[in-house]
Amino acid sequence: MSGVEWEKALWKPLPFPDNYIPREAFLSSLRTNPNFQPYTYWTLVRLSGAITQHLATLFTFLAVYVLLKEGLLDSRLLIWVSIACFILGFAVWTALDCTIRAQVDHRARLVKATKSSILLFLALMSLSPVLGTLTAATSSDSIWALSAFLFFLNVILADYSARQPGLHVQERLTSVLSMNAAISSSVVLASRLSDDLSVFALILFAVQLFALFPLLRHRLQASQAAVQYLLTVSISILSLLLTISISHTVTTIFAAALLSVSFVAPGVLIWAQRFKNEIRGPWDVAVPKIN
Amino acid sequence: MHPTNIAMISDFFHPNVGGVENHIYMLSSYLIRRGHKVIVITHSHPPDRVGVRWLLPCLKVYYIPFPAIASSATLPNFFTFMPYFRNIVLREHISLIHAHASLSSLGHEGILHAHLFGIRTVFTDHSLFGFADAASILTNKLLAGTLRNVDAVICVSHTGRENTVLRGELYHQVGDDPKSIMVNDNVYVIPNTLVADQFQPDPDFVEPPGQITIVVLARLAYRKGIDLLVATAPRICEAFPQVKFRIGGDGPKLIELLQMREKYRLQDRIELLGPVRPTDVRSVLTKGSIFMNTSLTESFGIAMLEAACAGLYVVSTRVGGVPEILPQDMISFANPDADDVFRAIEEAVKIVSMGRHDPLRAHARVKSFYDWGAVTERTERVYDSVLKSESRSLQERMHRTMQLGLFAGPIYTTILIVECIFFLFLEHFWPREDIDYVTQHWDDRNLTKFDSGQADYMPSVAEAQDTSRPA
Repeated sequence: MSGVEWEKALWKPLPFPDNYIPREAFLSSLRTNPNFQPYTYWTLVRLSGAITQHLATLFTFLAVYVLLKEGLLDSRLLIWVSIACFILGFAVWTALDCTIRAQVDHRARLVKATKSSILLFLALMSLSPVLGTLTAATSSDSIWALSAFLFFLNVILADYSARQPGLHVQERLTSVLSMNAAISSSVVLASRLSDDLSVFALILFAVQLFALFPLLRHRLQASQAAVQYLLTVSISILSLLLTISISHTVTTIFAAALLSVSFVAPGVLIWAQRFKNEIRGPWDVAVPKIN
Repeated sequence: MHPTNIAMISDFFHPNVGGVENHIYMLSSYLIRRGHKVIVITHSHPPDRVGVRWLLPCLKVYYIPFPAIASSATLPNFFTFMPYFRNIVLREHISLIHAHASLSSLGHEGILHAHLFGIRTVFTDHSLFGFADAASILTNKLLAGTLRNVDAVICVSHTGRENTVLRGELYHQVGDDPKSIMVNDNVYVIPNTLVADQFQPDPDFVEPPGQITIVVLARLAYRKGIDLLVATAPRICEAFPQVKFRIGGDGPKLIELLQMREKYRLQDRIELLGPVRPTDVRSVLTKGSIFMNTSLTESFGIAMLEAACAGLYVVSTRVGGVPEILPQDMISFANPDADDVFRAIEEAVKIVSMGRHDPLRAHARVKSFYDWGAVTERTERVYDSVLKSESRSLQERMHRTMQLGLFAGPIYTTILIVECIFFLFLEHFWPREDIDYVTQHWDDRNLTKFDSGQADYMPSVAEAQDTSRPA
């Protein structure tokens, strides 16, 4: 046996038994964690901002709903706030467009946006009597459970990724499902309200928060970190301020949730990264490089 | 080695066509020639292929009535195979089972049940799997559970062995460092092989002067790297006016090939043959000079071996076990990258057009490397060492199974215990006396007496016929 080197070749008759392999040759081509990139804490905190923002909008919505239901908030005020939010959001959106490319027909877009928003406004208004009595035959307990489930679905499936400006991306199925879950949940919640105007106000507000705000959020996420932090902090504070007038226990829970998502979860992820053990070797399906 | 009664178990067998199917058939027929008794157990293919059938040369096949769920694999369910298995191995006096393919649940179940009958187990893994996606994690855990108590494992290439060892947890720790591991002694590498005589180069075939034909023969699917072919073929055609393509095979990527041909107006340069039957493979191969393979993963690469044997110069991507199968001067390697594939083809065209590749010499060399007789002998040696080794007690089995992991361990131990109870139940309600034992088996001598003209019969899947003789 001496003199003949063991080789990783099947065609060559070698004087070794079939179960032989030299110590150093075994798994010589194995690589562990080839694309390992250690996370840094503050980057993760910044990236978790999207989730915090989403949770905070959800909490804001719930607080507004309770205030509306208890009669502590005037539905007319809510409608005006929604309209103001819409105009503000549209202005920010247009401003963002201006920063990347000039050749957008602002006039035509403005006309189109106004037209569709008026259409939605009127449609919601005419539907609100129907929506208000939609679940009259269902007990309130079922409604709370259903809406909790739907909001849970919304949080799980939401699209938290940043969107590069100028790039048109196909909406993913999960993010569409997420939005639908949130809107359905607000509809079933709204059906518990007493008058048609509150129903209308709540659903209008839900459309602002769950359909339009995520679009803006994706755009803002791609912009500067300062904007990101400012937005996260302001929405979180807003949601907590609204909740504190209702219940101190709930406020504590909300605050704990927001803090753990922003500060504890990134730490846990960094701690868990030490257990990462990715195995790569010649058996992996190669990725073809085509130019 | 003493004549032994061996059962091959796999979900993948004739009438399906493929690498595993062919391997089982060829290995069985060579083992029969060496005096062993071999049967095959697989699932049925209704409506025609059910019950017990015979294939030449006297290979008995049991088709178990289990439905296939996907790609001809049956549902893994751990127990339902036992009644059939018990009857078959007892009546056939089996002393060793050889399971094939890691996605074959029949094979896994056979390995799990065999210890109840004092039968020894060998497992052959034919393919490579990753570790990253959810499906791999699940199937790898299933494999680890099955291979916990197997007596020997055979892999078809060194790369395949590393892969199987990691997937099936067939290693032990060396020294104190948990990262320093070494493969267990019962894991063998025995290459797949081919019948060289079935891939004779065509001595009459001469390419028209100034023409070089590149043959591609593959399932037209993503894993076979058809994207690379689509990307490089127009460039090759543009750079070498003498090159023609002959592409055989069918699959989801056929449309992309057709579109590419249309877009670059290469209808007279690229010939698409459609699906090629196994019997026609040689005639397709021998009409070319270069064989191009762009697979993204390959455990062994039998297609390249067949092409090299038929006298073609091979160009392949450097993936999986491919670098091990042929010496450097018979094959050009490329990285899975369009530019590098183009470079490798350029190299191959140069070698072939300068006449530096001799088809007949290539055939003779492949014939000297790969031979079913040698492979069967090596497999026999594995069987022999398995039969001579000490078998594990039930207690040891349970102990080893518990070490599988926090969750998998108790689950597999429960399966093991329920399996033993089920076995006792079967023993009680279907006593061994009632089994219809096989007393006479058709073997080579028997057949020779029957028809002496068939004595030099050369087995091959293509010519396998059924004789619907009852068992």
